[in-house]
Amino acid sequence: MSEIAIAVSLAGGLGLLIVWMLLEGRRSANTVRSAADLNLKESLPRNYQYYPQIRQALSQADRSYLRASAPPGIAQQALRERTAIARRFMDGLLEDFNNLERLGRMVAALSPVISREHETDRLLLSLQFHLFYRLVRLRLLTGRVPLDQIGHLTELVGRLTSRIELSISAIAALSTQGISSEYSS
Amino acid sequence: MTHSELILYILTIGFEVLLCALVFARRLHRRLPFFAALCVLLLAGTLGLQFAYRHFGFRSAQSYDAYWLTAALIMVARGFAVAELCRVALRFYFGIWSLAWRILAVLGLLLMANAAVDASGQLDRVAIYGLTIERDFAVSCVVLLLAIISIRRYYRLRAEGIQVWITTGMLLVCLVDLINNTILRSALVGHLEFWLSQDHASVWGILRSQVDRANQWWNIARLSAFWLSIAVWCAALWKPLPEPAETPVLLPANVYGELTPAIHVRLQAFNDRLVEILH
Repeated sequence: MSEIAIAVSLAGGLGLLIVWMLLEGRRSANTVRSAADLNLKESLPRNYQYYPQIRQALSQADRSYLRASAPPGIAQQALRERTAIARRFMDGLLEDFNNLERLGRMVAALSPVISREHETDRLLLSLQFHLFYRLVRLRLLTGRVPLDQIGHLTELVGRLTSRIELSISAIAALSTQGISSEYSS
Repeated sequence: MTHSELILYILTIGFEVLLCALVFARRLHRRLPFFAALCVLLLAGTLGLQFAYRHFGFRSAQSYDAYWLTAALIMVARGFAVAELCRVALRFYFGIWSLAWRILAVLGLLLMANAAVDASGQLDRVAIYGLTIERDFAVSCVVLLLAIISIRRYYRLRAEGIQVWITTGMLLVCLVDLINNTILRSALVGHLEFWLSQDHASVWGILRSQVDRANQWWNIARLSAFWLSIAVWCAALWKPLPEPAETPVLLPANVYGELTPAIHVRLQAFNDRLVEILH
Protein backbone atom coordinates (compact mmCIF):
# COMPACT_ATOMS: atom_id res chain seq x y z
CA MET A 1 0.00 0.00 0.00
CA SER A 2 2.80 2.39 0.89
CA GLU A 3 4.38 1.78 -2.54
CA ILE A 4 1.11 2.78 -4.21
CA ALA A 5 0.78 5.84 -2.00
CA ILE A 6 4.33 6.89 -2.91
CA ALA A 7 3.71 6.33 -6.63
CA VAL A 8 0.40 8.25 -6.58
CA SER A 9 1.94 11.13 -4.57
CA LEU A 10 4.99 11.18 -6.83
CA ALA A 11 2.85 11.18 -9.95
CA GLY A 12 0.56 13.86 -8.52
CA GLY A 13 3.52 16.02 -7.53
CA LEU A 14 5.19 15.53 -10.88
CA GLY A 15 1.93 16.29 -12.65
CA LEU A 16 1.58 19.59 -10.80
CA LEU A 17 5.23 20.39 -11.48
CA ILE A 18 4.75 19.67 -15.17
CA VAL A 19 1.65 21.85 -15.40
CA TRP A 20 3.46 24.68 -13.58
CA MET A 21 6.56 24.39 -15.78
CA LEU A 22 4.56 24.30 -18.98
CA LEU A 23 2.36 27.23 -17.98
CA GLU A 24 5.32 29.25 -16.77
CA GLY A 25 7.21 28.43 -19.94
CA ARG A 26 4.35 29.66 -22.08
CA ARG A 27 3.84 32.78 -19.97
CA SER A 28 7.50 33.73 -20.15
CA ALA A 29 7.65 36.16 -23.02
CA ASN A 30 11.35 36.79 -22.60
CA THR A 31 12.56 33.83 -24.63
CA VAL A 32 15.71 33.60 -26.65
CA ARG A 33 15.28 33.12 -30.37
CA SER A 34 18.49 34.31 -31.90
CA ALA A 35 21.40 36.64 -31.36
CA ALA A 36 19.32 39.38 -32.94
CA ASP A 37 16.88 39.14 -29.99
CA LEU A 38 19.64 39.50 -27.42
CA ASN A 39 18.81 42.81 -25.84
CA LEU A 40 21.81 43.64 -23.74
CA LYS A 41 20.42 46.95 -22.57
CA GLU A 42 17.70 45.10 -20.64
CA SER A 43 20.16 42.56 -19.29
CA LEU A 44 22.60 44.99 -17.75
CA PRO A 45 22.26 46.19 -14.16
CA ARG A 46 19.92 49.17 -14.25
CA ASN A 47 19.42 50.24 -10.67
CA TYR A 48 22.98 51.44 -10.24
CA GLN A 49 22.09 54.90 -11.56
CA TYR A 50 20.28 55.55 -8.26
CA TYR A 51 23.09 54.24 -6.10
CA PRO A 52 24.80 57.57 -5.33
CA GLN A 53 21.60 58.86 -3.74
CA ILE A 54 21.11 55.63 -1.83
CA ARG A 55 24.71 55.70 -0.66
CA GLN A 56 24.20 59.22 0.61
CA ALA A 57 21.01 58.17 2.39
CA LEU A 58 22.77 55.26 4.08
CA SER A 59 26.01 57.04 4.94
CA GLN A 60 27.39 57.08 8.47
CA ALA A 61 27.77 60.88 8.31
CA ASP A 62 24.08 61.28 7.57
CA ARG A 63 23.18 59.04 10.47
CA SER A 64 25.51 60.83 12.88
CA TYR A 65 24.11 64.17 11.82
CA LEU A 66 20.56 62.96 12.40
CA ARG A 67 21.37 61.58 15.86
CA ALA A 68 23.11 64.77 16.86
CA SER A 69 20.64 67.30 15.56
CA ALA A 70 17.17 65.72 15.27
CA PRO A 71 14.77 64.93 18.12
CA PRO A 72 14.80 61.21 19.11
CA GLY A 73 11.39 60.51 17.53
CA ILE A 74 12.37 61.98 14.21
CA ALA A 75 15.75 60.25 14.29
CA GLN A 76 13.98 56.91 14.89
CA GLN A 77 11.61 57.62 12.03
CA ALA A 78 14.55 58.49 9.79
CA LEU A 79 16.32 55.25 10.77
CA ARG A 80 13.23 53.24 9.86
CA GLU A 81 13.07 54.97 6.52
CA ARG A 82 16.74 54.31 5.94
CA THR A 83 16.16 50.62 6.65
CA ALA A 84 13.31 50.64 4.14
CA ILE A 85 15.67 52.24 1.61
CA ALA A 86 18.25 49.55 2.33
CA ARG A 87 15.61 46.89 1.72
CA ARG A 88 14.63 48.45 -1.57
CA PHE A 89 18.28 48.67 -2.48
CA MET A 90 18.61 44.96 -1.82
CA ASP A 91 15.67 44.37 -4.18
CA GLY A 92 17.48 46.40 -6.83
CA LEU A 93 20.65 44.46 -6.17
CA LEU A 94 18.78 41.21 -6.70
CA GLU A 95 17.36 42.52 -9.95
CA ASP A 96 20.81 43.62 -11.14
CA PHE A 97 22.34 40.28 -10.25
CA ASN A 98 19.55 38.44 -12.01
CA ASN A 99 19.94 40.60 -15.10
CA LEU A 100 23.66 39.96 -15.25
CA GLU A 101 23.20 36.26 -14.64
CA ARG A 102 20.48 36.11 -17.31
CA LEU A 103 22.84 37.79 -19.73
CA GLY A 104 25.31 34.97 -19.07
CA ARG A 105 22.64 32.36 -19.78
CA MET A 106 21.50 34.12 -22.95
CA VAL A 107 25.05 34.30 -24.26
CA ALA A 108 25.50 30.59 -23.46
CA ALA A 109 22.21 29.71 -25.18
CA LEU A 110 23.33 31.42 -28.37
CA SER A 111 26.88 30.15 -28.40
CA PRO A 112 27.92 27.29 -30.66
CA VAL A 113 30.32 26.01 -28.00
CA ILE A 114 29.97 26.30 -24.24
CA SER A 115 32.04 25.13 -21.33
CA ARG A 116 30.73 22.79 -18.66
CA GLU A 117 32.89 24.49 -16.03
CA HIS A 118 31.53 27.94 -16.82
CA GLU A 119 27.95 26.73 -16.78
CA THR A 120 28.41 24.92 -13.49
CA ASP A 121 30.16 27.96 -12.02
CA ARG A 122 27.33 30.28 -12.99
CA LEU A 123 24.75 27.95 -11.49
CA LEU A 124 26.73 27.74 -8.24
CA LEU A 125 27.30 31.50 -8.15
CA SER A 126 23.60 32.05 -8.57
CA LEU A 127 22.71 29.59 -5.82
CA GLN A 128 25.29 31.21 -3.52
CA PHE A 129 24.00 34.69 -4.23
CA HIS A 130 20.41 33.78 -3.50
CA LEU A 131 21.44 32.13 -0.25
CA PHE A 132 23.55 35.11 0.88
CA TYR A 133 20.89 37.52 -0.28
CA ARG A 134 18.26 35.84 1.88
CA LEU A 135 20.61 35.91 4.86
CA VAL A 136 21.37 39.61 4.46
CA ARG A 137 17.65 40.38 4.06
CA LEU A 138 16.98 38.42 7.22
CA ARG A 139 19.63 40.34 9.11
CA LEU A 140 18.30 43.58 7.75
CA LEU A 141 14.89 42.71 9.16
CA THR A 142 16.40 42.09 12.56
CA GLY A 143 18.49 45.28 12.34
CA ARG A 144 21.79 43.41 12.50
CA VAL A 145 23.34 44.80 9.32
CA PRO A 146 25.18 48.13 9.44
CA LEU A 147 23.53 50.27 6.79
CA ASP A 148 26.78 51.89 5.71
CA GLN A 149 28.11 48.43 4.73
CA ILE A 150 25.19 48.02 2.40
CA GLY A 151 25.96 51.47 1.09
CA HIS A 152 29.40 50.19 0.05
CA LEU A 153 27.68 47.69 -2.21
CA THR A 154 26.39 50.55 -4.31
CA GLU A 155 29.97 51.49 -5.27
CA LEU A 156 30.70 47.92 -6.27
CA VAL A 157 27.65 47.48 -8.47
CA GLY A 158 28.15 50.80 -10.20
CA ARG A 159 31.80 49.99 -10.86
CA LEU A 160 31.01 46.53 -12.16
CA THR A 161 28.31 47.79 -14.45
CA SER A 162 30.53 50.35 -16.08
CA ARG A 163 33.23 47.67 -16.49
CA ILE A 164 30.88 45.18 -18.07
CA GLU A 165 29.66 47.82 -20.47
CA LEU A 166 33.28 48.36 -21.47
CA SER A 167 33.77 44.60 -21.93
CA ILE A 168 30.67 44.34 -24.07
CA SER A 169 31.76 47.26 -26.20
CA ALA A 170 35.16 45.62 -26.67
CA ILE A 171 33.58 42.30 -27.62
CA ALA A 172 31.14 44.00 -29.97
CA ALA A 173 34.09 45.64 -31.68
CA LEU A 174 35.76 42.23 -32.05
CA SER A 175 32.63 40.53 -33.36
CA THR A 176 32.07 40.94 -37.02
CA GLN A 177 28.57 39.51 -37.45
CA GLY A 178 25.22 38.90 -35.88
CA ILE A 179 25.38 40.97 -32.73
CA SER A 180 26.90 44.23 -33.75
CA SER A 181 23.73 46.32 -33.66
CA GLU A 182 22.60 45.23 -30.18
CA TYR A 183 26.00 45.25 -28.51
CA SER A 184 27.25 48.54 -29.80
CA SER A 185 24.09 50.51 -29.05
CA MET B 1 -13.27 -10.74 -24.23
CA THR B 2 -16.33 -9.09 -22.73
CA HIS B 3 -18.66 -6.75 -24.57
CA SER B 4 -17.37 -3.67 -22.68
CA GLU B 5 -13.75 -4.65 -23.35
CA LEU B 6 -14.58 -4.88 -27.03
CA ILE B 7 -16.12 -1.38 -26.97
CA LEU B 8 -13.03 -0.02 -25.21
CA TYR B 9 -10.81 -1.60 -27.85
CA ILE B 10 -12.89 -0.19 -30.72
CA LEU B 11 -12.79 3.29 -29.18
CA THR B 12 -9.04 3.03 -28.70
CA ILE B 13 -8.57 1.97 -32.31
CA GLY B 14 -10.76 4.90 -33.40
CA PHE B 15 -8.63 7.38 -31.44
CA GLU B 16 -5.41 5.86 -32.75
CA VAL B 17 -6.62 5.95 -36.37
CA LEU B 18 -7.51 9.63 -35.94
CA LEU B 19 -4.10 10.35 -34.41
CA CYS B 20 -2.24 8.58 -37.21
CA ALA B 21 -4.34 10.35 -39.84
CA LEU B 22 -3.54 13.75 -38.27
CA VAL B 23 0.16 12.92 -37.90
CA PHE B 24 0.46 12.16 -41.61
CA ALA B 25 -1.95 14.88 -42.75
CA ARG B 26 0.13 17.49 -40.88
CA ARG B 27 3.36 15.90 -42.09
CA LEU B 28 4.57 15.51 -38.54
CA HIS B 29 6.52 12.42 -39.58
CA ARG B 30 9.01 14.76 -41.25
CA ARG B 31 9.58 16.75 -38.06
CA LEU B 32 9.24 13.98 -35.47
CA PRO B 33 9.75 10.63 -37.25
CA PHE B 34 10.09 8.56 -34.07
CA PHE B 35 6.94 10.03 -32.60
CA ALA B 36 5.10 9.26 -35.85
CA ALA B 37 6.50 5.70 -35.67
CA LEU B 38 5.21 5.42 -32.10
CA CYS B 39 1.71 6.48 -33.22
CA VAL B 40 1.73 3.88 -36.00
CA LEU B 41 3.04 1.23 -33.63
CA LEU B 42 0.29 2.02 -31.10
CA LEU B 43 -2.33 1.45 -33.78
CA ALA B 44 -0.60 -1.64 -35.18
CA GLY B 45 -0.20 -3.02 -31.64
CA THR B 46 -3.89 -2.57 -30.81
CA LEU B 47 -4.96 -4.14 -34.11
CA GLY B 48 -2.44 -6.97 -33.74
CA LEU B 49 -3.62 -7.72 -30.23
CA GLN B 50 -7.22 -7.69 -31.38
CA PHE B 51 -6.29 -10.22 -34.04
CA ALA B 52 -4.46 -12.40 -31.48
CA TYR B 53 -7.41 -12.27 -29.07
CA ARG B 54 -9.84 -13.27 -31.79
CA HIS B 55 -7.61 -15.94 -33.29
CA PHE B 56 -6.15 -17.56 -30.15
CA GLY B 57 -8.64 -16.47 -27.51
CA PHE B 58 -8.42 -13.66 -24.98
CA ARG B 59 -7.04 -15.82 -22.18
CA SER B 60 -4.69 -17.95 -24.30
CA ALA B 61 -0.94 -18.17 -23.75
CA GLN B 62 -0.32 -16.81 -27.26
CA SER B 63 -2.39 -13.71 -26.55
CA TYR B 64 -0.52 -13.26 -23.28
CA ASP B 65 2.83 -13.41 -25.11
CA ALA B 66 1.54 -11.13 -27.87
CA TYR B 67 0.49 -8.58 -25.25
CA TRP B 68 3.93 -8.47 -23.61
CA LEU B 69 5.73 -8.41 -26.95
CA THR B 70 3.60 -5.43 -28.04
CA ALA B 71 4.19 -3.70 -24.69
CA ALA B 72 7.96 -4.16 -25.09
CA LEU B 73 7.94 -2.79 -28.65
CA ILE B 74 5.84 0.23 -27.63
CA MET B 75 8.16 0.87 -24.68
CA VAL B 76 11.21 0.90 -26.96
CA ALA B 77 9.42 3.14 -29.49
CA ARG B 78 8.43 5.51 -26.68
CA GLY B 79 12.06 5.64 -25.56
CA PHE B 80 13.11 6.73 -29.05
CA ALA B 81 10.27 9.27 -29.20
CA VAL B 82 11.36 10.76 -25.85
CA ALA B 83 14.97 10.94 -27.03
CA GLU B 84 13.75 12.65 -30.18
CA LEU B 85 11.77 15.22 -28.18
CA CYS B 86 14.91 15.97 -26.16
CA ARG B 87 16.96 16.36 -29.33
CA VAL B 88 14.40 18.52 -31.11
CA ALA B 89 14.00 20.83 -28.09
CA LEU B 90 17.67 21.86 -28.25
CA ARG B 91 18.73 21.05 -31.79
CA PHE B 92 19.38 24.66 -32.81
CA TYR B 93 21.40 25.47 -29.70
CA PHE B 94 24.55 23.54 -30.43
CA GLY B 95 26.45 24.61 -27.33
CA ILE B 96 23.70 23.66 -24.92
CA TRP B 97 22.89 20.46 -26.76
CA SER B 98 26.53 19.35 -26.63
CA LEU B 99 26.37 19.73 -22.85
CA ALA B 100 22.81 18.50 -22.34
CA TRP B 101 22.98 15.26 -24.30
CA ARG B 102 25.77 14.00 -22.07
CA ILE B 103 23.79 14.82 -18.94
CA LEU B 104 20.66 13.22 -20.38
CA ALA B 105 22.60 10.15 -21.54
CA VAL B 106 24.14 9.62 -18.10
CA LEU B 107 20.77 10.17 -16.45
CA GLY B 108 19.10 7.77 -18.88
CA LEU B 109 21.75 5.09 -18.38
CA LEU B 110 21.51 5.37 -14.60
CA LEU B 111 17.73 5.11 -14.69
CA MET B 112 17.83 2.16 -17.11
CA ALA B 113 20.40 0.41 -14.94
CA ASN B 114 18.13 0.98 -11.95
CA ALA B 115 15.22 -0.50 -13.93
CA ALA B 116 17.29 -3.55 -14.88
CA VAL B 117 18.47 -4.12 -11.29
CA ASP B 118 14.98 -3.57 -9.94
CA ALA B 119 13.42 -6.01 -12.44
CA SER B 120 16.10 -8.67 -11.95
CA GLY B 121 15.18 -8.96 -8.29
CA GLN B 122 11.55 -9.74 -9.05
CA LEU B 123 9.70 -13.04 -9.03
CA ASP B 124 10.19 -15.16 -12.11
CA ARG B 125 6.96 -14.14 -13.80
CA VAL B 126 6.71 -12.22 -17.05
CA ALA B 127 3.91 -10.02 -15.72
CA ILE B 128 5.76 -8.84 -12.62
CA TYR B 129 9.04 -8.55 -14.49
CA GLY B 130 7.38 -6.58 -17.28
CA LEU B 131 5.41 -4.35 -14.92
CA THR B 132 8.55 -3.49 -12.97
CA ILE B 133 10.47 -2.57 -16.12
CA GLU B 134 7.52 -0.61 -17.49
CA ARG B 135 7.16 1.30 -14.23
CA ASP B 136 10.85 2.19 -14.03
CA PHE B 137 10.89 3.04 -17.71
CA ALA B 138 7.98 5.45 -17.19
CA VAL B 139 9.92 7.08 -14.34
CA SER B 140 12.96 7.40 -16.64
CA CYS B 141 10.91 9.06 -19.38
CA VAL B 142 9.33 11.50 -16.92
CA VAL B 143 12.73 12.42 -15.43
CA LEU B 144 14.30 12.94 -18.87
CA LEU B 145 11.42 15.04 -20.15
CA LEU B 146 11.41 17.14 -16.97
CA ALA B 147 15.17 17.57 -17.32
CA ILE B 148 14.80 18.88 -20.85
CA ILE B 149 11.96 21.22 -19.82
CA SER B 150 14.14 22.51 -16.97
CA ILE B 151 17.12 23.09 -19.27
CA ARG B 152 14.90 24.93 -21.74
CA ARG B 153 13.44 27.07 -18.99
CA TYR B 154 16.84 27.79 -17.45
CA TYR B 155 18.20 29.10 -20.75
CA ARG B 156 14.85 30.64 -21.70
CA LEU B 157 14.68 28.85 -24.98
CA ARG B 158 11.61 29.12 -27.10
CA ALA B 159 9.73 25.89 -27.83
CA GLU B 160 7.36 25.26 -30.70
CA GLY B 161 3.74 24.74 -29.61
CA ILE B 162 3.55 21.27 -31.11
CA GLN B 163 6.62 20.15 -29.15
CA VAL B 164 5.10 21.44 -25.91
CA TRP B 165 1.83 19.58 -26.45
CA ILE B 166 3.47 16.35 -27.56
CA THR B 167 5.72 16.51 -24.50
CA THR B 168 2.65 17.13 -22.31
CA GLY B 169 0.85 14.12 -23.77
CA MET B 170 3.95 11.97 -23.39
CA LEU B 171 4.33 13.00 -19.75
CA LEU B 172 0.67 12.18 -19.13
CA VAL B 173 1.06 8.70 -20.67
CA CYS B 174 4.18 8.08 -18.57
CA LEU B 175 2.58 9.30 -15.34
CA VAL B 176 -0.46 7.10 -15.87
CA ASP B 177 1.80 4.15 -16.68
CA LEU B 178 3.75 4.83 -13.52
CA ILE B 179 0.61 4.73 -11.34
CA ASN B 180 -0.97 1.87 -13.27
CA ASN B 181 2.08 -0.39 -13.18
CA THR B 182 2.85 0.37 -9.56
CA ILE B 183 -0.67 -0.50 -8.41
CA LEU B 184 -0.89 -3.62 -10.57
CA ARG B 185 2.55 -4.82 -9.62
CA SER B 186 1.86 -4.18 -5.97
CA ALA B 187 -1.35 -6.19 -6.23
CA LEU B 188 0.35 -9.08 -8.03
CA VAL B 189 3.21 -9.41 -5.58
CA GLY B 190 1.06 -8.56 -2.56
CA HIS B 191 -2.64 -9.28 -2.09
CA LEU B 192 -3.18 -11.36 -5.23
CA GLU B 193 -0.08 -13.52 -5.04
CA PHE B 194 -1.72 -15.80 -2.50
CA TRP B 195 -4.81 -16.33 -4.70
CA LEU B 196 -2.83 -16.79 -7.91
CA SER B 197 -0.95 -19.83 -6.61
CA GLN B 198 -2.03 -23.22 -8.03
CA ASP B 199 -3.25 -24.26 -4.56
CA HIS B 200 -6.18 -21.92 -5.00
CA ALA B 201 -6.98 -22.82 -8.61
CA SER B 202 -10.31 -24.24 -7.46
CA VAL B 203 -11.62 -20.84 -6.35
CA TRP B 204 -10.62 -19.00 -9.54
CA GLY B 205 -13.94 -19.91 -11.17
CA ILE B 206 -15.89 -18.50 -8.23
CA LEU B 207 -13.91 -15.27 -8.27
CA ARG B 208 -14.09 -14.87 -12.06
CA SER B 209 -17.02 -12.41 -12.08
CA GLN B 210 -15.43 -10.16 -9.42
CA VAL B 211 -12.06 -10.25 -11.20
CA ASP B 212 -13.73 -9.39 -14.52
CA ARG B 213 -15.60 -6.46 -12.98
CA ALA B 214 -12.44 -5.10 -11.34
CA ASN B 215 -10.57 -5.62 -14.61
CA GLN B 216 -13.24 -3.72 -16.50
CA TRP B 217 -12.98 -0.67 -14.20
CA TRP B 218 -9.23 -0.93 -14.36
CA ASN B 219 -9.28 -0.90 -18.16
CA ILE B 220 -11.67 2.05 -18.25
CA ALA B 221 -9.43 4.10 -15.92
CA ARG B 222 -6.24 3.19 -17.76
CA LEU B 223 -7.62 3.71 -21.24
CA SER B 224 -9.34 6.98 -20.30
CA ALA B 225 -5.97 8.45 -19.41
CA PHE B 226 -4.51 7.03 -22.62
CA TRP B 227 -7.33 8.58 -24.64
CA LEU B 228 -6.74 11.87 -22.89
CA SER B 229 -3.10 11.83 -24.03
CA ILE B 230 -4.18 11.01 -27.58
CA ALA B 231 -6.74 13.81 -27.35
CA VAL B 232 -3.97 16.24 -26.34
CA TRP B 233 -1.92 15.16 -29.36
CA CYS B 234 -4.94 15.30 -31.70
CA ALA B 235 -5.88 18.78 -30.42
CA ALA B 236 -2.33 19.98 -31.09
CA LEU B 237 -2.50 18.56 -34.62
CA TRP B 238 -6.06 19.62 -35.36
CA LYS B 239 -5.07 22.89 -37.02
CA PRO B 240 -2.34 23.01 -39.67
CA LEU B 241 1.06 23.33 -38.06
CA PRO B 242 2.95 26.60 -38.44
CA GLU B 243 6.14 26.52 -40.44
CA PRO B 244 9.09 25.08 -38.49
CA ALA B 245 11.00 27.73 -36.53
CA GLU B 246 13.93 29.20 -38.37
CA THR B 247 17.41 28.36 -37.18
CA PRO B 248 18.39 31.09 -34.72
CA VAL B 249 21.39 33.26 -35.49
CA LEU B 250 24.12 32.21 -33.09
CA LEU B 251 26.85 34.40 -31.67
CA PRO B 252 30.42 34.16 -32.91
CA ALA B 253 32.26 31.45 -30.96
CA ASN B 254 34.68 33.89 -29.30
CA VAL B 255 31.93 35.91 -27.58
CA TYR B 256 31.13 33.21 -25.02
CA GLY B 257 34.79 32.69 -24.18
CA GLU B 258 35.37 36.39 -23.61
CA LEU B 259 32.13 37.55 -22.05
CA THR B 260 31.36 34.65 -19.73
CA PRO B 261 34.48 34.90 -17.52
CA ALA B 262 33.91 38.67 -17.29
CA ILE B 263 30.33 38.13 -16.15
CA HIS B 264 31.39 35.48 -13.65
CA VAL B 265 33.99 37.76 -12.09
CA ARG B 266 31.26 40.29 -11.51
CA LEU B 267 28.81 37.73 -10.17
CA GLN B 268 31.52 36.50 -7.82
CA ALA B 269 32.13 40.08 -6.67
CA PHE B 270 28.44 40.39 -5.72
CA ASN B 271 28.75 37.26 -3.64
CA ASP B 272 32.04 38.32 -2.01
CA ARG B 273 30.54 41.59 -0.90
CA LEU B 274 27.48 39.87 0.52
CA VAL B 275 29.76 37.52 2.45
CA GLU B 276 31.62 40.54 3.83
CA ILE B 277 28.35 41.98 5.06
CA LEU B 278 27.42 38.70 6.69
CA HIS B 279 30.69 38.38 8.59
